Amino acid sequence: MNLNYSYRDSFGKALVKVGEKKKEVIVVDSDVSKSTYTKYFAEKFPNRFVSVGISEQDLIGFSSGLALGGKIPIAVAFSMFLMRAWEQIRNTIARDNLNVKIVGTHSGLSDFLDGSSHQAIEDISLIRILPNFTVLSPSDIIATEKLVYEMVDHYGPVYMRIGRDNSPKIYDESEEFRIGKSKVLMEGEDILIVSYGPMVAISQEVANSLNKKGFSISLIDLYSIKPFDEQTVIKYSKKANHVVVIEEHNVNGGVGDMISSFLSSRIPRKVTKIGIEDSFGTSGRSYFELIEFFKLTPKFIEDKLKVMRDEL
Amino acid sequence: MGRGYDAQPILNSGDKPCSSPSLENVYELLIKKKINASNNLNEFLKKINNYHAESSRSVLNILITLYNYWVPKGIDLGIKRSIILSKGHASPALYVLLSQNNEIEEEELESFAMPNSRLQSHPEGGKIPGILFSTGSLGQGLSVANGIAFAAKLNRERKEIAVILGDGELDEGQIWESISTSFSLKIDNVLAIIDRNGFQLSGPTEEIKIKESIKKKFEAFGWYALEVRNDIKELIIALDMLSEINGIPKALIVKGDIQS
Repeated sequence: MNLNYSYRDSFGKALVKVGEKKKEVIVVDSDVSKSTYTKYFAEKFPNRFVSVGISEQDLIGFSSGLALGGKIPIAVAFSMFLMRAWEQIRNTIARDNLNVKIVGTHSGLSDFLDGSSHQAIEDISLIRILPNFTVLSPSDIIATEKLVYEMVDHYGPVYMRIGRDNSPKIYDESEEFRIGKSKVLMEGEDILIVSYGPMVAISQEVANSLNKKGFSISLIDLYSIKPFDEQTVIKYSKKANHVVVIEEHNVNGGVGDMISSFLSSRIPRKVTKIGIEDSFGTSGRSYFELIEFFKLTPKFIEDKLKVMRDEL
Repeated sequence: MGRGYDAQPILNSGDKPCSSPSLENVYELLIKKKINASNNLNEFLKKINNYHAESSRSVLNILITLYNYWVPKGIDLGIKRSIILSKGHASPALYVLLSQNNEIEEEELESFAMPNSRLQSHPEGGKIPGILFSTGSLGQGLSVANGIAFAAKLNRERKEIAVILGDGELDEGQIWESISTSFSLKIDNVLAIIDRNGFQLSGPTEEIKIKESIKKKFEAFGWYALEVRNDIKELIIALDMLSEINGIPKALIVKGDIQS
């Protein structure tokens, strides 16, 4: 598994491209431009780059004002610290459906070294419950780039969650991504795996390995979490008797819960949620060390699914 | 007088007639409006169980002067001026004033705080003319004003935003984040107006969390700050003075007569 690409690098470069295309785009930083790679945008468009310092609440309010002034602000911070402005995101952006784009970087376990204070594993659940919000989580560098364009073209508030580095490359440059759609990466009969973000690459390995052992797996990359591709999820859930959601997020309130509650009123299926159990992160010396620690490597997941399979 | 500060009139405009006839005319008009609005507000507050009554009463002079003097004067000068009531709980005063200025029908006041009414307890954006965005959660108005003001500068539009903050609202950390941003980004088309009525929800401000010296705090953050009494004539003069100051953000601290 090659995870040598960088989400933030792809994000930073995509920002420069949208900056060239759309003059209304303003990038608002909270003193993390060297870490989030908004520095590329800052170098290219110094007049359309603003830093409000280490003030995430102000970041959200200021960006709301820019949107009211007709701009397309992209507010960037570490996912975790955007959450301290959740109330501002709710009361000012979501209530008024303001055209503010929020990008949370260093999400999930990707900020391995900084530990539990920095590892946002609750952000999807916190933002997806807000009316008017679109929630996106690209799985690789191509999806990251394309979803930046999609996010800017869409009118309304968007939260995009990306990791730091350790991105795979799953898609070709020609691949298109649309809000409300998904990517079916594998089609099978017994088990449907739904995943998003960096866990898609892990899920691919799990599925490949299980397929070799006689299972038949479908895999959906649910990069658009809100709204999500209900039709595709139903279609592949119908074929399968067991749905597994794999995410780099707390299993409480995450996409596993979302899919589980969605299916329960339509085509009830056994849904297994694989993610970070009700706990916080921890520091590690590498991303791989952490996914090992939280039992999110292909081997752990495969073993877990095999056990569940036997129990069915 | 209240604890912790003295409301000294900085402008000697107390009971003396104004020297400028035009100012005197404006003043007389605004006083008439004030008497009328004040009566209407008291009637309205009776019907709505005195919803944030004191906060509404103390902000009335500020709203009257901004809406009837500062905004129209901006039009003469080619400047689009907008008002943000960051202390959104003083909505009764705002709604009474908007009805006085025929922005909303007087009868509509009856629908205050009813489900689906345009007149929500805390004003909501896009529902009523001139309400730029939804308020109700304290501490957010200046951040948003900075963003609007900054966008206007980028667009080369002549736009100014007055943000009315409560003195209790200054407890919010975000206020100080945004005060710092205004100065750092040299946002001089934002005017913060602090309704220094001396009270917050559970009592006198200085007993809950010490605010003074508000003027010195703004100055320490790089702002130009001015104190006036909660008096229409002083407000008019102060707003004129402040409009002459460019290059830095400006604060006007409006000190009420505190009963304590």
